Amino acid sequence: MSVVATQSNLTRTDERSFPLSRFIPWGERIVGYGLLLFAAFATMAPFLWMVSTSFKADAEVFQFPPSFIPQGLGWQNYLDVIYLPDSGRQLVNSLVFALGSTISNLIFCSLAGYALARMQFRGKTIVFALVVGLLMVPAQSQIVPVFLIVQKIPFAGGNDWLGNGGTGLLNTYWGMILPTAATPFGIFLMRQFFTRIPIEYEESARLDGAKSFTIFWRILLPLARPAMAVLGVLSFQSAWNEFIWPLILTNSRDMATLQIGLQLLQSGPDARWNVVMAMATLITVPIIIVFLFAQRFVIDGAVTSGVKG
Amino acid sequence: MPSRSATAGPFNRSWGAYAFLAPALLILFLSLLLPAIATIGMSFTDISFLRPANWVGLDNYFRLMADGRFQQAIGNTMYYTLGVTFPTMALGLLAAVALNRKFPFRIVFRTIFYLPVLTSLIAAAVVWVYLYEPYSGPVNGLFVSLGLGPQPWLSSPNLAMMALIIMAVWRDFGTAMIIYLAGLQDIPEEIYEAARLDGASKFSILWRITVPMLGSVTFYLMIILIVQSFQVFGAIYVMTGGGPLGSTETIVFQMYQTAFGYTEFGYSAAMSTVLFFVILLFSLVGTKIMRRGEG
Repeated sequence: MSVVATQSNLTRTDERSFPLSRFIPWGERIVGYGLLLFAAFATMAPFLWMVSTSFKADAEVFQFPPSFIPQGLGWQNYLDVIYLPDSGRQLVNSLVFALGSTISNLIFCSLAGYALARMQFRGKTIVFALVVGLLMVPAQSQIVPVFLIVQKIPFAGGNDWLGNGGTGLLNTYWGMILPTAATPFGIFLMRQFFTRIPIEYEESARLDGAKSFTIFWRILLPLARPAMAVLGVLSFQSAWNEFIWPLILTNSRDMATLQIGLQLLQSGPDARWNVVMAMATLITVPIIIVFLFAQRFVIDGAVTSGVKG
Repeated sequence: MPSRSATAGPFNRSWGAYAFLAPALLILFLSLLLPAIATIGMSFTDISFLRPANWVGLDNYFRLMADGRFQQAIGNTMYYTLGVTFPTMALGLLAAVALNRKFPFRIVFRTIFYLPVLTSLIAAAVVWVYLYEPYSGPVNGLFVSLGLGPQPWLSSPNLAMMALIIMAVWRDFGTAMIIYLAGLQDIPEEIYEAARLDGASKFSILWRITVPMLGSVTFYLMIILIVQSFQVFGAIYVMTGGGPLGSTETIVFQMYQTAFGYTEFGYSAAMSTVLFFVILLFSLVGTKIMRRGEG
């Protein structure tokens, strides 16, 4: 669909020089650059304040008006964050949650996407229509039933076979990962990609007698690396930044993720802005670094992820 | 073994395909389909944490219609949605038009405009709470240095929603920019050439050619932004908690409170059902337009 066309068009921007620029006079160019610089600075300002405040000493935070440049580069706030009693645990939880969600998306979405793109089976049209239809279901308006379903998973957390009696998967990694473990968007993305791989690759393997899974695993998956990269980066980013599922599906301090931890730190009784900003910086920087390395993939994929809503 | 799969009929192939699909479909069933159905079912009951559920018919919906707080939440959600959607699209379009030509540092600007999209919502919200801080925050610092009085941003019922909207626009316009940049590539260069030969001004080229040609992209983007803004939760949870005086309480926030604060799951499900159908309506309209754009 249009997704594919849009992607390839976007990459073309970089190569194609626009004749328009030749017609732009110098004066206008300077004004244009000026406006862009202003907009860029305004966009960056919250980040710059975040970093600047994270280096300030306690007393300096309460100066009014606040100064943009901190008086010294003190790393104390960062040490305070790292030595918070729960921050190590929260980092582990965030990593387990984000990696778990990423890996399960990569596996399940590519399997399903391959089946929808390349295999013949009864009910294919219905299954594909269902996936596209589920793209439109607003996930955040389902917080109550998802909570109840996670609580009532049979045989988990002391539940009997009917799902009663225990806490199910609440307060577990499995429970947190479940609502994000495969997404209609991911299946759709992978299906679109597999559809574009020439059928010849598969047919020759099939003539050699290879099984479906072997063809998928040995031939198509290696070809799908770019799509897997997009799906992986987007899944990791969205799980790392996720707030509502960890908030609802866990209530013990041991299971809090970094996002929950940051919210608790900021709303806590003895919140210090400089320490809060240090933690916000520490949470934001890894994602920005990942983005800078995978920029092309992520931006192309982001156009597609608009479908996710 | 190889001979078996070579001779495998469509029946065997089908089972193979089902095996490929099963895990993903099970997850989608548990996390989206069953919840969507369950929400509607639960909205006709008084289900709660401990109590066994009773069928109450349309009672929850009658209660919703008479609930002043819910009406306020609907009003707030609409205000927020409109306030976020249109400025976001306008800024996104401006940024896309500005960056849709080759010049030095173009990618740097694009990256900068896209950074807020990448930031976690909670980190962004926490930073903005600091920016809006009434006694030592940079926004009031700027206001004072411009000779304006300091404002109680997040603690004033008149300003709090506006403050949330500004932050949301800051966070979302990068998405709009990226989608518009992709859309701009689909406009044939010949149309611009022709317009320039006719001596059209820059502004009229933008207004008469670029904007209309981006029609389907714009509509698609509008639906995404509306659907996303309708579901706003995290920013409200962190920045205002629905206050002051309920002035920033939105539908999803009220759903969360009703379910997990007052444990009235049935009533919360009724709210969710209303929201669900509104969002579904917008999505369906959006998809239709998208299809038409493709054809």
